[in-house]
Amino acid sequence: MLQCIFLLSDSGEVILEKQLTGHSVDRSICAWFWEQAISQGDSFKQQPVIASPTHYIFQVYREGITFLACTQVEMPPLMGIEFLCRVANILNDYLGGLNEDLIKDNFVIVYELLDEMIDNGFPLTTEPNILREMIAPPNIVNKVLSVVTGSSSNVSETLPGATASCVPWRASDVKYSKNEVFVDLVEEMDAIINRDGALVKCEIYGEVQVNCHISGLPDLTLSFANPSILDDVRFHPCVRFKPWESHQILSFVPPDGQFKLMSYRKVKLQNTPIYVKPQLTSDEGTCRFSVLVGIRNNPGKTIDSVTVEFQLPPCILSTDLTSNHGTVNIFANKMCSWSIGRIPKDKSPSLSGTFVLEDGLKRLHVFPTLQVSFRIMGVALSGLKIDKLDLKTVPYSFYKGFRALTRAGEFEVRS
Amino acid sequence: MFPQFGATAESLSKASTLVFRIGTDAHLYDDPEDVNISPLLDSKFDEEKCEALKRLLALIAQGFDVSNFFPQVVKNVATQSLEVKKLVYLYLLHYAEKRPNEALLSINYFQKDLGDPNPLVRAWALRAMAGIRLHAIAPIVLVAVGKCARDPSVYVRKCAANALPKLHDLRLEENTSSIEEIIGILLNDHSPGVVGAAASAFASVCPNNFSLIGRNYRRLCEILPDVEEWGQIILIGILLRYVIARHGLTEDSIIFSLYHKKDYNSEDDLDITLKEDARDASGKIVSELANMVFQSYIEGPDEYLSRSSSTNRVSPKLDSLIFTSSSNDDVKILLQCTSPLLWSNNSAVVLAAAGVHWIMAPQKDVKRIVKPLLFVLRSSYASRYVVLCNIQVFAKAMPSLFAPHYEDLFICSSDSYQIKALKLEILSSIATDLSISFMLKEFQDYIKDPDRRFAASTVAAIGLCAQRLPKMANTCLEVLLSLIRQEFLSSEIGSTDGEEGVLIQAIMSIKSIIKLDPPSYEKVIIQLVRSLDIIKIPAARAMVIWMVGEYCSLGEMIPRMLTTILKYLAWCFASEASETKLQILNTAAKVLLRIKGDDILTHRKVLSYVAKLAECDQNYDIRDRARFLKKLFPCNMDCQHEEEEKDQLQTGDLSYVLAECIFGGQTKAVTASHEPINYRYYLPGSLSQIVFHAAPGYETLPKPHSLPYDDLDSNEEDDPDTSGSLDEESASDYSSEHSVTGSSNASGSDETAFANEADQDAGPLIPISDIGNISENQNEVSHSGSADFEDLMSTKSLESWLDEQPGLSKENATEQSQVHRSSARITIGNMKSRVKPKFYTLLDPANGNGLKVNYSFSSETSSISPRLVCIEVFFENCSLEPIAEIALIDEDSSKGLDSTDQTSSEAEITLKPHIDVPNLVSMEDIPCLEPGQTAKRSLQVHFHHHLLPVKLALFSDGKKIPVKLRPDIGYFVKPRPMSIEAFRDMESHLRGMFEYTRSCAFTDHIEELKGSNSLTKDSFLVICETLALKMLSNANVFLVSVDMPVSANLDDASGLCLRFSSEILSNSVPCLITVTVEGFFKL
Repeated sequence: MLQCIFLLSDSGEVILEKQLTGHSVDRSICAWFWEQAISQGDSFKQQPVIASPTHYIFQVYREGITFLACTQVEMPPLMGIEFLCRVANILNDYLGGLNEDLIKDNFVIVYELLDEMIDNGFPLTTEPNILREMIAPPNIVNKVLSVVTGSSSNVSETLPGATASCVPWRASDVKYSKNEVFVDLVEEMDAIINRDGALVKCEIYGEVQVNCHISGLPDLTLSFANPSILDDVRFHPCVRFKPWESHQILSFVPPDGQFKLMSYRKVKLQNTPIYVKPQLTSDEGTCRFSVLVGIRNNPGKTIDSVTVEFQLPPCILSTDLTSNHGTVNIFANKMCSWSIGRIPKDKSPSLSGTFVLEDGLKRLHVFPTLQVSFRIMGVALSGLKIDKLDLKTVPYSFYKGFRALTRAGEFEVRS
Repeated sequence: MFPQFGATAESLSKASTLVFRIGTDAHLYDDPEDVNISPLLDSKFDEEKCEALKRLLALIAQGFDVSNFFPQVVKNVATQSLEVKKLVYLYLLHYAEKRPNEALLSINYFQKDLGDPNPLVRAWALRAMAGIRLHAIAPIVLVAVGKCARDPSVYVRKCAANALPKLHDLRLEENTSSIEEIIGILLNDHSPGVVGAAASAFASVCPNNFSLIGRNYRRLCEILPDVEEWGQIILIGILLRYVIARHGLTEDSIIFSLYHKKDYNSEDDLDITLKEDARDASGKIVSELANMVFQSYIEGPDEYLSRSSSTNRVSPKLDSLIFTSSSNDDVKILLQCTSPLLWSNNSAVVLAAAGVHWIMAPQKDVKRIVKPLLFVLRSSYASRYVVLCNIQVFAKAMPSLFAPHYEDLFICSSDSYQIKALKLEILSSIATDLSISFMLKEFQDYIKDPDRRFAASTVAAIGLCAQRLPKMANTCLEVLLSLIRQEFLSSEIGSTDGEEGVLIQAIMSIKSIIKLDPPSYEKVIIQLVRSLDIIKIPAARAMVIWMVGEYCSLGEMIPRMLTTILKYLAWCFASEASETKLQILNTAAKVLLRIKGDDILTHRKVLSYVAKLAECDQNYDIRDRARFLKKLFPCNMDCQHEEEEKDQLQTGDLSYVLAECIFGGQTKAVTASHEPINYRYYLPGSLSQIVFHAAPGYETLPKPHSLPYDDLDSNEEDDPDTSGSLDEESASDYSSEHSVTGSSNASGSDETAFANEADQDAGPLIPISDIGNISENQNEVSHSGSADFEDLMSTKSLESWLDEQPGLSKENATEQSQVHRSSARITIGNMKSRVKPKFYTLLDPANGNGLKVNYSFSSETSSISPRLVCIEVFFENCSLEPIAEIALIDEDSSKGLDSTDQTSSEAEITLKPHIDVPNLVSMEDIPCLEPGQTAKRSLQVHFHHHLLPVKLALFSDGKKIPVKLRPDIGYFVKPRPMSIEAFRDMESHLRGMFEYTRSCAFTDHIEELKGSNSLTKDSFLVICETLALKMLSNANVFLVSVDMPVSANLDDASGLCLRFSSEILSNSVPCLITVTVEGFFKL
């Protein structure tokens, strides 16, 4: 089981430590960790499990903060990692972001949260809804109140009823004057287009995000018109397995507020909504590079926030890329970003220019990979359709809202 | 002095953060010591205390030692403010171990808090108390945990479960059984949340106490989907271990087919998938690999590897006996309950469930785990790595599993190098004839990636693919050769480190492909040799030169080219790097050995020339090599004596033979695919598997079938109906829709719980079947007496504690009704005569040449010392000849003495200074025992108050037989006669925290009632008598009173109350036992 959790800043400073068991871990292990990170560079910081001379360290890195957890005994490594991710998510939720200052400013809350989330190295309460009831998140009202009155208790005096119920993820006495449920299908398209321009892999990773404001203890059922198109699914703990197994119906008592009900995957899609065609010719020290972007399959909605990014290979000294639409930025680390925005109807955007190679190099032998991003509102490209959303147990009517969104995930085009 | 008006952007942003930070604890973190903390701690305002504690916390966060504030902080534990309390607990737990004495001061407050009506306060108090970890308070904590394990609040019970590992961590032997018992209670809890926490406690306290699991196995399986995700991870592991220990492995799992493949290689009834695997050339390696993986799951890799290397793969010890059919109910339900967990949102749960299926599921069902595992790859970066490590093992052991999904493992440029490398390795191990062409295409893209290290790994992967699929080797080779050609072009000028790596790797891969079938790749070798001129990188050059030497006699072209090549090498020798020089020397020697013909003279010249150059080299390795070659080929170095050396060669010169051995030996085919997995021999999903060594606490799967059947089946009962348990929140039955199989909720209370020796408030408890188990049960009851609790108290205090709880309507009702119920006291006469002592065997006639020795504990007290336990020993001669000189003495004192010299040994015992009570007051010897004769002697033994058997030496006919006298904990106490008033008085004077309650089912009276006519005898009386008899014959106690309820309904035996008193031998502390009966007559 976990023995200790450290939060490290970007400069290697220990922001805070939380000992979990009697076998306290000296913070010198962080110094060791940081030394290794400096001497071994990125590859060390990307190792999620590290065997130090004294401890095993799990590492999760989020927005400048390194979360470390130490153990000395065998335990499922994914448990440690998942837990750290959960801590990072919840801190992010509570503090409205993650950075060194935010954590330092709210260190008492962080301590209280950690203490509630893990007991003796074993996760105790990790359900965000319940934690919110036990430890109040910092907000403007609280802050002002604390300045005015001088008291700043954010620890709940009573145990949330949900810790005891059969639905530990739901607060017990929720009341709304207006009952509403919003269901969003948020999809990400992962695709790889190889150097020949062929679509090697194209799949959709989707999430069903629900924002639920319903009084009492509602029992919802959500069904899809075409559940059979899904290849894989993963569920929030509130989803009952039986109805899904038998009829592919999602039956659940939702947590209060925003949550991810389900994630799914659909593989082997045949088409991408846009095409990106890079072209690279090189000889005798210079090479010409051009990228064409356009709509391939019109999904019926506008495609916007289109950007193309790529890392120039180290052997390229300089470049003069220009585009006929959108803006091109080249950063100091040779990252090149072309933001197109909405694809115009009358012309297809193109980027072109030349690369100047290192002295002596006649041709380019390594090629950049383009990362494409885009966003399409109102469409779920997987084709998944929500059939209906029903409410059992609670008699009154409620407002239902459905939305869909597709954006690019790991959408790569090799040049 | 005014600040400038033109504010810079920086100062503006500073100002904005300042505004933003107002109201947070920022100032406390930035400057925790800007005020004096200690007066704040002593303040009477909660706000000030709070601030002081926050400052301390900030100092802790920053790594300062602020333990000097400990006494002041501890005082504040008595506060009413929950926030202060929480902060104090945070501080306290951080330093408790450093300041044990001051920490003890807080114990009273914790105890008070444990009775608080607010469950949050109770839970916190328990957590803090258990977190303090002092040996001195362990017993108190244990009692508190026991109490909280029956708390009405789920949250408190969960915390109780979490507290158990903390207690266990203190390593107090005497507590172990009580801890395990509480775990049993919590595992039986009907709230899934508690079960999850209990599972984790189980895993860290007593992972091998399978009887706790066996009792609840089915229920645990059914509750599994409702358990919290963290508990699921642990519980899945526990259930898997239990099933294997109980039933063994499944018959149609992968592991089984592997064994059978080994045993009946001729038979062709293997599963299709395995046949598919076996079809490729490396199929054998693959299945062997899978075999190794599974073997090490069970035996542990170190053990397995050492065994297999030392004894040259003895056939596995496991035989078909360890297998069970997968239609076994327990296995089936486990698989059924874990398969929906593959949909879990928590990747750790998915992996744990996949592990179960990997090991236990029938082969055709294993593929179920593939898609979920691949889906998990889309989650966080860190978990992606761990999952890939596991997929790597699965894919290597059973390539057909992942083969159709190769596309999912294609590499994104955003992956880190570790992940890329893992994916490449998996891809190369699942390649099939069908998919290889797609993969090669993809690989060619990777080679052009700007990350050259990744490109090098890709080249290595191509080599691996070719080894796996020899049919495709040519295609792979083409790719590699074209790559090399390209590399030559680009690396002509200014090649970077990365580029070198790619080229070296490419030649290495080509080398390994050539090794598969050298004759057919002659042209490739020639091509490489031709390009020697443009290959600049020493390592690559060395490899090509090595190939020249290795394949010098191959085909037709190479031997003809040899002279030219050697001349070229000799010519450029001086300008080479040292590793290339070494290879040139080796190659020259090899050529000389292998090639017989006209050119031998040239070869010899080249060798001697090169060797001469080498002797003057700056590198001592090369000089050494040159001298070594000179010694091996003494004649060859000297070109003048041609005829002599020919003779020498023919006569089989020793040095020639040596040279043959050194240079001519065929290099063993090293299969590269074997290497990396070598270390991933640990269970899927374990930490050890990721870090390549067994982490402390790593345990292999239990030995299949290691768990005996009998002692569990009797205990397997339906859980006591939960309706009567004390949960205040029995909300809507959410889980009912999840249950997998319709479990029978019919409570068997009619039969077994007829008379429940139970406290009514005990909640869900372990039902202990009494038949034949009474002694064990008895041990447990009085064990608490020896385990330093000093007293057993009636349930009164617990009841009163519970009385404070609101919402215990049911319990209170029954409680009340019992309080008001009047009772009558009865006496049972003639008890003593009816008490039958239990006999234990000390020596079996089979072992003792016909001498049979039994013993029983007597209720007499010793006259010598109160600490001695009296034992009656019965000797019987079962043989046909008389046995002479029987004596029984202490083993230790007999050591070093002549075996027959009893007198002196006895003398020694008596001579021993009486610092302590002697271990054994010996009995008189028996001079002679005729056949069939019996003799009875009494013995007094000092057991030192622990349950270890006393080793004795029994002498008969001059022979020494070691025997063991096992103590009975029931006789560690002696009766303490007292009146009922005295009993009550003593009970009320007991200090708290030394009570111990448990319940069990009692059935002895049923037989009794059946035997006698129920009309003639009062059934109440029968119950009382059997109960008292049972107690008295198992423990040395005094029956104080028997209270019988005078109730209107005759079929209710509840309220029957027996009181016993005794005192502990060693310290004369009273030990009071109250037995209350609950149950109804079966009508």
